[in-house]
Parts: sequence; C-alpha cells; structure tokens
Amino acid sequence: MSSDRFDLGGGEPIITLRDIAKSYWREELEIPVLQGIDLEIPTGAYIALMGPSGSGKTTLLNLIAGIDRPTGGSLEVCEHELNDLDDDQLAAWRNAHVGFIFQNYNLVPVLNAFENVELPLLVSGAGRSERRDRVEQALTLVNLTDKMRNYPRQLSGGQEQRVAIARAIVTNPDLLVADEPTGALDAKNAEEVLGLIERLNTELGKTIVMVTHDPKAAHHAKHQIHLEKGVLDRTVEVNR
Amino acid sequence: MRWLALIWKSLMRSKRRTLLIVGSLVLSVFTVAVLQSLLTTLNAVTNNPNSSNRLVVRHKSGLTQMLPRSYEAYLRQQPEVATVCALQWFGGYYQDPRNFFANFASDETTIFQIFREEFGTSGISEAQIKDYQRDGAGCIVGESLAKKNGWKVGDVVPLTGTIFPINPRLTIRLIYKSPKPSDENVLHFHYKVLEEGVPRMKGLSGSFWLRTRRPEDIPRLIERVDRHYANSAYETLTETENAFNLAFVKMLGNIGAIIQGITAAVVVAILIVTGNTMATAIRERTTEIAVFRAMGFSAGRVLTLLLAEGVLLVGVGGFLGVLLANLAAGGVRASLGSAMPFFADFAILPNTVLACMVGALAIGVLATFIPAYSATRRPITEGLKAVG
Repeated sequence: MSSDRFDLGGGEPIITLRDIAKSYWREELEIPVLQGIDLEIPTGAYIALMGPSGSGKTTLLNLIAGIDRPTGGSLEVCEHELNDLDDDQLAAWRNAHVGFIFQNYNLVPVLNAFENVELPLLVSGAGRSERRDRVEQALTLVNLTDKMRNYPRQLSGGQEQRVAIARAIVTNPDLLVADEPTGALDAKNAEEVLGLIERLNTELGKTIVMVTHDPKAAHHAKHQIHLEKGVLDRTVEVNR
Repeated sequence: MRWLALIWKSLMRSKRRTLLIVGSLVLSVFTVAVLQSLLTTLNAVTNNPNSSNRLVVRHKSGLTQMLPRSYEAYLRQQPEVATVCALQWFGGYYQDPRNFFANFASDETTIFQIFREEFGTSGISEAQIKDYQRDGAGCIVGESLAKKNGWKVGDVVPLTGTIFPINPRLTIRLIYKSPKPSDENVLHFHYKVLEEGVPRMKGLSGSFWLRTRRPEDIPRLIERVDRHYANSAYETLTETENAFNLAFVKMLGNIGAIIQGITAAVVVAILIVTGNTMATAIRERTTEIAVFRAMGFSAGRVLTLLLAEGVLLVGVGGFLGVLLANLAAGGVRASLGSAMPFFADFAILPNTVLACMVGALAIGVLATFIPAYSATRRPITEGLKAVG
C-alpha cells in the first residue's frame, strides 16, 4: 500500500515525505499523479526511482528538489519544510542544498565550461576568487580541467554531462537529483557518468536521487524505489 | 564572470539577430533625433529671443510688392520706434549658383542698431563700422561665410544678381562674429547700390525693420501703422519678426504635425519589432530560464537579467543612433548652412539626445517586460519539458 513506510536503512533522514499527493488539472478535470506517498530517505542514500511512464517518478523527483509543490502532504528536505518557503526562499534553498543533473545536460550554449559551472555561484554570494577556486575544484573532480574554456558545442555528450555534474556539485549541495542522466549517452559514456555519480555518493557522501528507466543505471544505486500509478510499489536493495 | 558579461553573452547568442535589431534601432533613433532636431531648429527660427522688440513692415499683398521709402519718415516719427532700417532681399550668388547664401541691401547706418545682437558688439570697432559706412561699395559679412569662402577684410566679392539685373562688386569692410552660427552666413551691402543699379527700385524697399523701445509697445504700434496705410496704394502688413519668419516656415506645410506623425510611426514600428524579437529570443530560451531558476535564480533575478538584456540592446542601438545623428547634423550644417541660414544652427541638442535615449530605454523595457515576465512566471517543471 502507498501508506507503507519504506525502510531504506541508514541514519538521519535527509528527505521526509508525509502523505504527499500531487494532482494536475486539465480544465475541470483533476488528474492525480501521486497519492499518499510516505517516504524517508537517509543522508548519504543513493536512490534510483523507477517505474513505467506516467508512474509519477519525475513528479516525485521535482517535489523533492523543490521545483514543484505538492497538492497535499508535507515534505521536509535538508531540514527545511518546503511548504513553508515562498518562491524566493525556495530558490535560495535550492541553490544551497540541491544540485541538478538533467538528461539533456542543459548547459548554456554561449558560456564555456568554466562559466557554466560558475553559474549557480553567481547567486550564492561567493566572491570572485572563491568562485574560481570552487569551479576549478568541481572541474577537477569530473576530470575536465583541460576543457574549462571549451564551449558546449566543442564537447562530446559525455563531457557535457560531466560539466553539468560539476555545475551540480559546485555549491557543495547535500542532495543531487538526476533525471535520466544517461538517457542521451552511449553505453561507454553512460557508464563513465554513472561511475562519477556513484563516486559523488561514496566518496563525498552526497545523497542522490536519480530517475531512470535503465536497469543498468539503476544498478549503480544502493536502493531502487519502484512507483506504479502514483504510489510507492516496492523498494529493492541493490546487491553488488 | 560578471553579471554584465552574462547579459552580454546572452545577448550575442544570435549575432545576426542582435545586429539586425540594433541596426533597426540605430536607424529609428537616428530618424527620430534628426526629425526632432529639425523641428527644434525651425521652432528656434520663429522664437528668436533677440527679436522681442523687432517688427517687420511689408506690403500687405506680399513680399514681391514694394513699399515707398518715404514710409520710413512716418515710421521713425512714431514715439515707440527707436530705429528703422530699409532692407531688401537681394538673392545674389558668389561665383556659382550653388554657392548661395543670404544677402541683403540694407541701410548702412541703422542696420547695426536693428541687428545689434546678431552682429555682436564685442570685436567690432567704431572705426570698422565707419569704414563700411564710408565705402558705398563696401559690404559686411559673417565670420562663417567669410571662412567658408576664404574671404578677409579688403577682398572684393562679386555678387551675381538673380532677382535684380545687377552684379555688384563689393569690398569687405567688416567681418562680424555672431553668437549663433546661422547669423554669420549673411552679407549686407549699402541700399544705395540697389537703388542706383536698379532704376525701378529707386525710392522703394521690400521691407522696413523697426526696433521698438519696449516690447509692450508692439501691439499698439502694429495696429497704428497698418491703420495709417489702410486703403492707400501701398497698404502695409506689420508683424513681429517671429511672425514674419513663421510665414516662411509655414510654406513647408504643417511641418510640426508631419514630423510628430513620422516620429510616432517610427516609435510604434520599433516597439513592435523589438517586442517581437525579444519575445522570440526569450521563447527560445524557455528551458534555459527554467534551468536558471532550478539552480536557484529567483524569478525576479531572471526577470531583471532579461530586462537588462533588452535595455542593453536598445541602449547600444540608441547610443549609436544618436551618434550617427550628430555626425549627420555636422554634415547638414556644412552643406546647407549657407543656403538656408537656420540650418547653420542645426544640432542634436542635449534635450533631444536625452529624449531619444529615454525613449529607447523605455522601448527596451516595454518590449522585454511582457515576454520576460510570462517566462519567469511559467512553472519550472513546464520550462524543463519545453523543447528548445
């Protein structure tokens, strides 16, 4: 049942969802997407959200990341009750606590790799030299220091996604959300990117929530959460 | 990276589009600046502050009809009148018909009192004035006109008449400097040259210019002079100098309404073009805007960035347009200033520059605000799903 609590082990929860519901409206018609979601995700978890199309996994990811709001229930993420934050507070909260990794990388084409990674720091209040240091650290972590002056069109798909990962971690967020991060990559680059995301979890202790269709990608996570028609269906602990 | 760099790079993502819109802004601002300056110049002709106590008496039927010079005596007798000067447009040219400038036959004594502000009192000595008054074939010219033709005191200027069948050879006796460039593109010579050279002009003049003692005397004087000569063979039309000049400006039609109409059309057209361009540019970046907001840029900050792009775009276009208009104004002064003296004062004044820049920036804000506002109000999740 959707009200079941799912045990993902670990310590203090970084994400706590209580009776979360989300519906969309098409004129007068209510379309429920998520219903009665109760979930606690511990700090340092690496979760793969899985399920068929329309099961609500991306909607759940968006709610956790604070880019959408639920129609019912409450969510506490990184020690903040998101329903209590207004839009500007939520934007500041995302900047401080959440890193985004998108399927299509979504780099700004007119900015080079360095400038793309620097973008979230522009609103964080970091000074110029601090920004430079943090961008260089992030690009070192994804092994792209030699490409920092390259524009997105001068990078391969795998390199673009690594720049996007550097951008996601440059503010040192507690939580990384990834929506089909390997969906646009070939197998070799996908494996490389997944390895990198896994390292962010194991070595830097980032909590990662990833939406994927790909069982191979999901296999990199510590736990898989399956959704079915807007409710939590089951969790699977990944044995490697 | 600084904010300005981010704005500039975003603006230059489609260089061709940006250059085209800047080009159309330059052209529009140039057009508006030049037209508004033309209007200002024409208005200045009819609002000359020096002419507050000057009157022009001419034939009621028009400028081509003459008045007897005997009228001068009556005019001079009026208690409000300080001085009277017979003045006739000669319409001659120097060497080439294209080398045309304003030249008059005028009373060599009273001309300095009538136009004392234009001639400028500093720099002209009594001795120079006397030199001119003594030499019946002498003339006085403005400094701009002298410089343009390379004239100096003592040079002989042969004028070819176009209205009157004489070609006087005049010796420059005085070069004056005037506060306004337009007043320096003029040549005056002795009225006697015209009277003696053209028998039909004997005892006649096209106009009399009066200086009254006080501006408030003018209405009373106008009424009295015209009433005195009513029903005579030479009826008069007396008017202020500004009204006299206005009659020439009116020959161009309702130029003010035409210029304001064109300005309004240009502003509306550029608002539509800029609005459409900014709407397209912002729509293409729907996903990017959603990514910015997901990364923590507030809606207000994204709106500010987009507005800054629009303002920078029109700011650059406006600045270049004004700059080009300034260059063109210099060209107009150089090429038309002699033939049409008021063009010697043609300039893009600070007020016009300010109005053009404020107008351009307002267009930038207006054209950008609506698409930018709706883009930043769109839910982030919708923006991320958008293609493009």
